[in-house]
Amino acid sequence: MHMPDHEQFAHAVLPEATPDEFSRQEFVKSFKLHLATKVSPNNKVVYEQEVKPAFEKEHGRAPDSRHEIRNAMTQHPHYQAWSSLLRTSQELMWKACQGSVERQLDTLIDRASAKNTEAGGTLTLNPAVEMPRYLAAVDIHCQPGNYNAEVKANDVSAGAVYDTGVYLYAMGRLGPLNDDMGASQAMYIKRTFPGLKPKRILDLGCAAGHSTVPYKSVFPDAEVYAVDVAAPMLRYAHARAESLSVPIHFSQQNAESMDFEDDSFDLIVSHILIHETSTKALRNIMKECRRVLKRGGLTVHSETPPYKGMDDYDAFILDWDAYNNNEPFWSKSHEFDPVEAATQYDFDPGKTFEALIPSVFEEDQAKRTNVFQGGDFGGSGMWYVFGLWREQ
Amino acid sequence: MSGDGKLPVHAKGQRPQFFDDPAVDKLLAMVMALAGEVAVLRDRNDTLERLIDQKGLVDRDEIESYKPSQEVREARDAWRAEYLSHILRVVDVGADDMGRNDVSEQWKKVMESVDD
Repeated sequence: MHMPDHEQFAHAVLPEATPDEFSRQEFVKSFKLHLATKVSPNNKVVYEQEVKPAFEKEHGRAPDSRHEIRNAMTQHPHYQAWSSLLRTSQELMWKACQGSVERQLDTLIDRASAKNTEAGGTLTLNPAVEMPRYLAAVDIHCQPGNYNAEVKANDVSAGAVYDTGVYLYAMGRLGPLNDDMGASQAMYIKRTFPGLKPKRILDLGCAAGHSTVPYKSVFPDAEVYAVDVAAPMLRYAHARAESLSVPIHFSQQNAESMDFEDDSFDLIVSHILIHETSTKALRNIMKECRRVLKRGGLTVHSETPPYKGMDDYDAFILDWDAYNNNEPFWSKSHEFDPVEAATQYDFDPGKTFEALIPSVFEEDQAKRTNVFQGGDFGGSGMWYVFGLWREQ
Repeated sequence: MSGDGKLPVHAKGQRPQFFDDPAVDKLLAMVMALAGEVAVLRDRNDTLERLIDQKGLVDRDEIESYKPSQEVREARDAWRAEYLSHILRVVDVGADDMGRNDVSEQWKKVMESVDD
């Protein structure tokens, strides 16, 4: 699925691919699209026609949770084949991205160092920040070396691999800058709460800064800050933002415990951060959001939709990553209830909201599958967000 | 931190097994890796054909209607024979004793023979 109308935008630190490397990446994109559109839908067919009737015959009732469906489906050859292929596509994806990064790593490091101050953003690293247990236990979504591996001085390889990988993972449907989540959420906030007018914005777990950068375009008068635990991601994110002429203040911090003063931000956001934390970390992050948010401030977080109220089969298929793509907190995080959180962490319970918001990147709408399913990130064209307000 | 610039090959975390026989999972991964490399070669070939067509060196129709001569066919036959013997070495029973059912017994004998 070569899409010349919107290749990934070639900012200064984007790795360049040789023709063979590019073909290898294009193959992964086509492979993933095939799995999402041709192979994955038949999971539902075999479930309805074979697995569910067999379960009902054995138990005298239908499966009553995503876990029961998963246990039954793992025995079916079609689900086995799809899963095995999907896992393989993920591994091939990282491999296809690593090749070009490894080949030109010295150049990328040099370019990142040169892109230090062009736009006026800053980078503050703190080697004392450790990878928390929930990120160090496994390499998240199977990226070899995780967010933080450093194989050279001033390494940016994890960010460079991630940037190309995310574009392939979403099959280009996050747009040329992989920024659809941030852009969609920022636009939603601006349109829905025109009175907010944030002066200081903070993005938590920013990774390569894909979702951070659009906040500056949507709220040009705001100062935008972003934190992450991994230095190679932050070095890359900083150089990328500078080359895009967008000033962002990046710092190496764990969102569970930050050095910002109380009452210092009008808006705090995150994008697919929550599912990569832990029960305890999520609690700490909510407390930190409450602490550093100004009175009357807003915090908004996007994820794939929660399982509450979702059909068990749909929850099962969306839950695939929890078990098969090194996302150990994915399943549990989808049970998070923002209304409960509002009371628990002292936000305004009456103003808590949840919404499915439309993607602002509509150009590729026709290529979407319009479902939330494992291995098809961005396929739905919608993002789930929840928001909590601090009382005035 | 500094190192040799080699990126890590494996992701930390146990690889899930989907089929009853884990060999099937591995085999599928190998097949798709090979399919990927075939796609890479196909793209490269496509690039070559388009370039030589654009430059007017060879018409693409000429490539489509190309009939290999007897000599070319023999050369290709020979290349494929060598290629297949490389790929299928492991099932070539004549090559070694690996295809037999009593491998463990045989191997035990080999081990005993050097244990003196």
